Amino acid sequence: MTVQVIKTKAEQALAARIGSLLASSALSPAEKRVREAASSEFQTRGLPSRRIEEWKFSDLRNLLKEAGNDQGSTPREALEIAQRLGFEGVDADTYILIDGRMVGRPEGQGEPGVRVERLADSVRHDPAVLGLSDVSTLDDGQKSVLALNTAMVTDGAVVTIAPGTPTTRPIHIVHVGLGAVAVRNIINVGAGSRATVVETHVGGGEGQRFENAVTTVNLADGATLEHLFLIETDQGSAYLGNIIAALGASAVYRPFQLTSGAGLLRQQGTITFDGQHGSFDFSAASVTAGEGHQDTTLVVDHKVPHCTSRELYKTVLDGTARGVFQGKVIVRPDAQKTDGKQMAQALMLSGEAEFDSKPELEIYADDVICGHGSTSAEIDPDLIFYCRSRGIPEAQARALLIESFIGEAVERIDHDGLRVGVMARAMGLLRRSDT
Amino acid sequence: MLEIKNLHVKLADEDKVILKGLDLVVPKGEVHAIMGPNGSGKSTLAYVLAGREDYEVIDGDILWNGESILEMEPDERAAKGVFLAFQYPMEIPGVAGLTFLRTAANAVRKKRGEAELSTPDFMKLVKAKAAALNIDFEMLKRPVNVGFSGGEKKRSEILQMAMLEPSLCVLDETDSGLDIDALKVVSDGVNALRGPDRAMLVITHYQRLLNHIVPDKVHVLAHGRIQRTGGKELALELEKSGYAEYAGKAA
Repeated sequence: MTVQVIKTKAEQALAARIGSLLASSALSPAEKRVREAASSEFQTRGLPSRRIEEWKFSDLRNLLKEAGNDQGSTPREALEIAQRLGFEGVDADTYILIDGRMVGRPEGQGEPGVRVERLADSVRHDPAVLGLSDVSTLDDGQKSVLALNTAMVTDGAVVTIAPGTPTTRPIHIVHVGLGAVAVRNIINVGAGSRATVVETHVGGGEGQRFENAVTTVNLADGATLEHLFLIETDQGSAYLGNIIAALGASAVYRPFQLTSGAGLLRQQGTITFDGQHGSFDFSAASVTAGEGHQDTTLVVDHKVPHCTSRELYKTVLDGTARGVFQGKVIVRPDAQKTDGKQMAQALMLSGEAEFDSKPELEIYADDVICGHGSTSAEIDPDLIFYCRSRGIPEAQARALLIESFIGEAVERIDHDGLRVGVMARAMGLLRRSDT
Repeated sequence: MLEIKNLHVKLADEDKVILKGLDLVVPKGEVHAIMGPNGSGKSTLAYVLAGREDYEVIDGDILWNGESILEMEPDERAAKGVFLAFQYPMEIPGVAGLTFLRTAANAVRKKRGEAELSTPDFMKLVKAKAAALNIDFEMLKRPVNVGFSGGEKKRSEILQMAMLEPSLCVLDETDSGLDIDALKVVSDGVNALRGPDRAMLVITHYQRLLNHIVPDKVHVLAHGRIQRTGGKELALELEKSGYAEYAGKAA
C-alpha cells in the first residue's frame, strides 16, 4: 500500500516556486538535472514533521502555514534597509543580496588574499557547486530543508581566503528579502588564515518572508573564523538556516548568533572535527516575543582526538514565545581527550512562554570531559529589590538584568567593534520587545 | 529624623507576626545601635525600612523627616535618602560594578533633581571613594559581588552607600563575616559618613562593631519590640550578660 501524503499549503507554494525557477530557459541541462533531483527529494520527503525525532519541538509541517507569497521587496526600500545594517566604526567589506540575488559585482572589493564571487556565477560555471558534501550526521528533516535549498537557491557569496591571510576587515553579507527565497554562502578559509564574516538576514520591508539559507564553512588546518549571524524573523515569516562546517587540524570556529522576532526560526548547525586540536566555540543570544518560535539545533561530531567544543545559548522569552535548544555532541571511539561543554539558559518574562532544552551526549571514547547544563528562570525578584534599594526604578532594573543576561553571550564576540555594535543592536531589540 | 511608631509587621505570605509594636526615634546626626538575640526581628526591621515586598506592615507607621515612607517603592525611598547595607549583599552576574554604581548614582540624582554625573566626574568620585575603602579599582570592572569574599562584599556595600550619599543609613549585621582588619576598614568608611545631617541605624548581634562605630544610643530588640534603651555602655553590659534575660516569653 502506498500512502499519499497530502501536501500542506506551504509545501504546495514551495513546489510551485521551484517549478517556476526550473522553467527558466537560462538553466543549463546539467544544472537543471541537479536542481530537479533536489526538487524531487524535497517533494518526496516533504517538510519535516514531529515524526522526525530532531524536529519534535519544531513541527514545520504544522507550524509553517505559508511559505512567503510571490511578492518580493521593493528594490529601493530593500536597499535602504540593507544600507542601515552596517556597524558604526567598523570598516567592513559589504555584499548585499536582495530577494536572493546579489546587488552589483563583488569582484575586486576585498582585501588581498580574499576572493568573493557570486554563487550564481559559480553554479553557472559548474553546477556541482550546488552539491553538499555527504555529512553523516544530517537528520532526515534537515536533508529535506537542504534539498529545498539546492532546488531553489538563487545566489549567495562564495568567499575564498587564500592560505596564510590574516584579514583585518570583516566581510559583511547582508540579505534583505521578501517572498520565498533561498540563498547559499560558501566560506573557505585557507590554512593559517584568519577571517571575520558577518551574515545579516532580515525582511525587506512589510510582507511575508520564507528564507532558506545555507552556509558551508571549510576551515583548513590552523584557520580561524569568527562568524556572526544576525537574523530577524518577523511575525508570519520563517527562516530555515543551516550551517555546515568542517574543521581541519587546530582550526578555530567561533560562531555567534543574535536571533530575534516573533516569527519562526530554525537554525541548525552541523559541525565536524576532521583534524586534531580543533576548537568550536558557539554562543547565541535570542530574543523572542509574541508567538515567536526559535529553535537552534546543533550537532557536533568529534571524529578525532583533542578537540574542544563550547556552546552557550541564551534566550529571553516573552508572550507565548517558544524557545528550543537541542545540542548533540558525538564523541567517536577514536576521539580521546575530547572536551565538550554546553549550557542553555532561558529567561522567562512571561508565564506562558516555553523553553525546551535537549542536550544529547553520545560518547564512545573513555577519556573525555563532557558536560551540559540548562536553566530556565524568571528575573530574580530579590535582584530587582536589590537594584531598587539603590534607587534604580523597577523598569530600569528589569532592563539592566535582561541586558546583562543577553550580554553574557554577546561578550564572547572577539571583534571589538562588532561586539559593541551587536550589543547596541541587542539592547535595541530588548527595548522594542519591552513595549 | 526617623520615627517608627507602633510598628507591626508580618511575613507577607504567612501569618507570623514579627514586629509587634516597635517604637523608635533616631534624630539626625545620631547613630543608634539595635542589638538583640537571633530571631528578634532585627533584619525584618532593616528590610521593612528599605521596602522589601516579603513583609507586610499591619499597623503603625514609619516617618522619615516627617513623611510616611510606607507607601513608597524601594527606589523612591532610596531617592529620599534611605539606604540599607545588606547583611548578605546580592550577586548580579553580567552587570559590571561600575555600571551598577553609575546607574544607581544617576538614578537617585535624577530623582533628587540634581545633575547626572559626567563620566570623568563619576570616575574621579568612584576612584577616590574606592581607594578610601581599600577596594581595588579593577574589582569594580567585574560583575557586582560575583566571586567576592565576604569582606569584599561588605566593602562594596559601603562604597555604594558612599556613592549614593544617603541621609538615613541602615546597616544590617555589617560586621558578620568580617575579620578584624576588614572590620576596621568598613567601620572607618561608615564613620567617614557620620555627620549632622545623617542618621544611622546600626543593627548588630555583637558588641565588637560598636567599639569602632560608637553609637549615641543602644536599643535592645526582642520579641518584636524595643525592650530597653541606653547609652553605649548598654552594649558592653549585653556583651557580659548575654541576651538571656530577653530569651523568655514576650514582655
